[in-house]
Amino acid sequence: MNAWNEHVSAALLGTERRPAPRLPEAPAEDGDAAGRLLDQAAVLAVRRRAGLRPPRCAAGPIAPAPPEELPVVPAPAAARLARILAGEQIRVLPEWLDAAAAHGYRVPARLLPDLLEKGRSDRMLRPSIARSAGRRGVWLALQNTDWAYLVGAGDDPGGGEEVWQTGTRNQRVAYLSALRGSDPAKAREALKETWSKEPAPDRTAFLATFAQGLSPDDEEFLEAALEDRGKDVRQLASDLLARLPGSAYGRRMAIRARACLRAESRPVVTSTARNRRQTWILVEPPHAHDEDLARDGVPFHPSGSFAPGARAGGPVGTRAAWLREILARTPLSTWTDLFGLPPMEIVCLPVADAADTDGRSTRDVHIGWARAALGQRDVPWARALLKGGVMVDEPEALADLLAVLPADERDTAAAGLIRWVEGQPELLRVLERVPGPWRGELADAVVAVLTAAADRPTHRHEHTLLQLGRLADQSLAPEAAPRLEALAHRLDPASAAAPVLADLIETLRFRSDMIKELSL
Amino acid sequence: MLGLAPDAASAKAGGKVAEPAKWGDAGCDGEAVWGECQGSGKSAYRACAELAEPAFRCSCPSRKFPCKHVLGLLLLWSDGAVGAGARPEWVREWLEQRRQRAEKAQEKKAVTAAKVKDPKTAEARERQVAAGVADLDQWLRDQVAHGLAQAEKAPYRLWDDAARRLVDAKAGALAGQVRSLAAVPRQPGWPGRLLEEYALLRLLVTAYGRDDLPGPLRETVRARIGFTQGQDEVLAEGQRVRDRWCVIGSRDTAQDQLTTRRVWLRARSGRPALVLSFGAPGRPLDASLVVGTELDAELAFYPGAQPLRALVAERYGQAVPGVPDGTSVQGFLDEHAAAVAADPWLDRLPAVLEQVRLARDEQGLWAVDGDEQSLPLRLADPWRLLAVSGGQPVTLAGEWTRQGLRALAAWHADEGAVIL
Repeated sequence: MNAWNEHVSAALLGTERRPAPRLPEAPAEDGDAAGRLLDQAAVLAVRRRAGLRPPRCAAGPIAPAPPEELPVVPAPAAARLARILAGEQIRVLPEWLDAAAAHGYRVPARLLPDLLEKGRSDRMLRPSIARSAGRRGVWLALQNTDWAYLVGAGDDPGGGEEVWQTGTRNQRVAYLSALRGSDPAKAREALKETWSKEPAPDRTAFLATFAQGLSPDDEEFLEAALEDRGKDVRQLASDLLARLPGSAYGRRMAIRARACLRAESRPVVTSTARNRRQTWILVEPPHAHDEDLARDGVPFHPSGSFAPGARAGGPVGTRAAWLREILARTPLSTWTDLFGLPPMEIVCLPVADAADTDGRSTRDVHIGWARAALGQRDVPWARALLKGGVMVDEPEALADLLAVLPADERDTAAAGLIRWVEGQPELLRVLERVPGPWRGELADAVVAVLTAAADRPTHRHEHTLLQLGRLADQSLAPEAAPRLEALAHRLDPASAAAPVLADLIETLRFRSDMIKELSL
Repeated sequence: MLGLAPDAASAKAGGKVAEPAKWGDAGCDGEAVWGECQGSGKSAYRACAELAEPAFRCSCPSRKFPCKHVLGLLLLWSDGAVGAGARPEWVREWLEQRRQRAEKAQEKKAVTAAKVKDPKTAEARERQVAAGVADLDQWLRDQVAHGLAQAEKAPYRLWDDAARRLVDAKAGALAGQVRSLAAVPRQPGWPGRLLEEYALLRLLVTAYGRDDLPGPLRETVRARIGFTQGQDEVLAEGQRVRDRWCVIGSRDTAQDQLTTRRVWLRARSGRPALVLSFGAPGRPLDASLVVGTELDAELAFYPGAQPLRALVAERYGQAVPGVPDGTSVQGFLDEHAAAVAADPWLDRLPAVLEQVRLARDEQGLWAVDGDEQSLPLRLADPWRLLAVSGGQPVTLAGEWTRQGLRALAAWHADEGAVIL
């Protein structure tokens, strides 16, 4: 026992019970034992502290992060990101991250912990984080299990082919989807090898990568997957097959669809046009559901068949829902072949129900086509449905079609749609579906809606303005700010619209400065 | 710049105000920056800041200090969005008022300093303290005579009562040390720690009773008992050291309705210094020393065997960004040994470690230097330091206590100064 420990045990017991040890250097005269113990302990304690040897760390230094390929954002942008992460205009965070990544920058290392913590609770943010966090971000995520989502979440799963054998599900999905981009056949073969051993949720995740590089070569694999044990796998396989041109699946669906829809030539009943005939579409929804239909991805109760229709009055009904599903999965070329007309004219054809004529079937047909155009990314059909003036009471379905249009047509088409639904409750739901940034004609249309709402002090317009402000502050291109400022200037500062506009302008200015800083 | 903000909300609001469009008649010169901000009221708020200290003023009614207008103005200025210009009348007036006030304060100080302390009061206090210290000595010996084992189950009152008697005896610093010991028996390895603390207190008590100590050591002892020295006295009589001082870290602690800000400095010559400031909770503390900067200044040190605490007596020019010079782990341990030899009661010392990498084991984070020597780090949140280092060597500054090195700031080639 060393001298210090002797002193500690003597002090624990008390000098009344155990005599204090004696240091050779202590003075000889004997005061009280407790005082001497304390004095000697003081000498030892100071000696120990001055001669401190800290314990050695058992582990070696942490391996350095791989060198970065991208430069860090300019200082003003970094300062703004720190403000955003502290809570100022937090909703612009995804836009900041995407803009930084688009300009070839990365987040400064000191802000990574705060950023990765945000991604922990917000899944939608994760792809943006993965793009902008740089290699340091992944390196840091490897040290903290809370941030493991970032590992393998980026476009580059890291590692080579062994990732497919040994990686996490996220890493394997990233590997497979990268491979689908470069060599779809190789990816398919890789998946085939392990397919039977994968659990159902993994099979679903892996099969989803087939959306990339989908080709007739995948048909055989997908047809086999229609018999899969996993319900989600079967559904996904049928969805993918429905997008595949010229497949057996498409031919099966076309047969079903043509049983439901047929062309009929009817005389035009007006006083002026004699002997003129007009093509009608006669609709007869399927009467029965069978095993084969279920196998091809149309369940007995398709989703939404019980949902109360917004304005069409009541649920859709199973027969109509089957019709919609069948049409959504039928190649659109079926109809151009059947009617011998371009899509624009087909969507304008009058529709009649074979049994009764309550007009409901018109909706079902057009909704089915809209879903098909979305699934098959068919530009002419999307254009026709958007411009045809049909489907007036389904603006949300139309808004989804905007994504199919080429980028340069989108703003104009969206602006048309906005003007169409202005003043109706659907306006906001349509705008929610139009991805930002809103520019050009679309921005003009939105500013016009804002102006109209701001000028009318009714409660309903105030509500619209408030809701629209919340959408527009993130989606509207910041170049619209001066026009809104002019509007705010003209407005009575005491009106309810003024603070909404002020907030909107402030956010737009914030985003404008943010983009300028990142474009340096 | 946002480090000046009293809280996060002010920083946020300051960011919002930092729009060139909101400001009229903004300008700056070598000493000050000013502008008029259109707020919610009818007349514009006049905000200005003197850059040297920095000091602020704004005509808005906000009770936050500095207010969002001043912060916004400074943000604009630091972005270079404020052009040089001639001072308007109101700015000139304010600066003039400040100068007059500073002169008056100087005069007042001179008057107080000239007032000779009443020798009778001082004598009475000495007697009171001496009685309290003797009482503590008896208490310490009793603890050890009866055995420390009883401390494990003892209520806090045991230490509180002893501390209260010391407060009554006007030995405030000593009372604080005794009170803080109540937490020791709740920690692992407490018997050794408690004996060490009691032994050092006994050493202090004994030292106070001796009148043959060298002058500086005597001052150290008196300061640790609770004899305080006024700032004027320190400025007038304290040792003056002019150097280029790097601000290497700052830490706020709140206790008993008082927030203490400890700002650590390290001179280019390697000398450490500590600048303390105090404030009520929620009130802004002195923000004139910014971590990561270097300033040419003359410091006045409080007397002592190992002088650390100091006041900034004179500044020469504005602070500039600066990376402090550091030592190896061994170099720091040598510095620490020398400091403990001079002041055996020393409980904190700033450390600047150069070229250290981080290591991690079950106990936590470590700083490892090129000679494979390591120091344990204490950090509530290790992630920022890890992220900044990226596994590469950094310069790391912190406050060394018996529990380890509390990391306060780090410098990295790409990231610059990062407050942890």
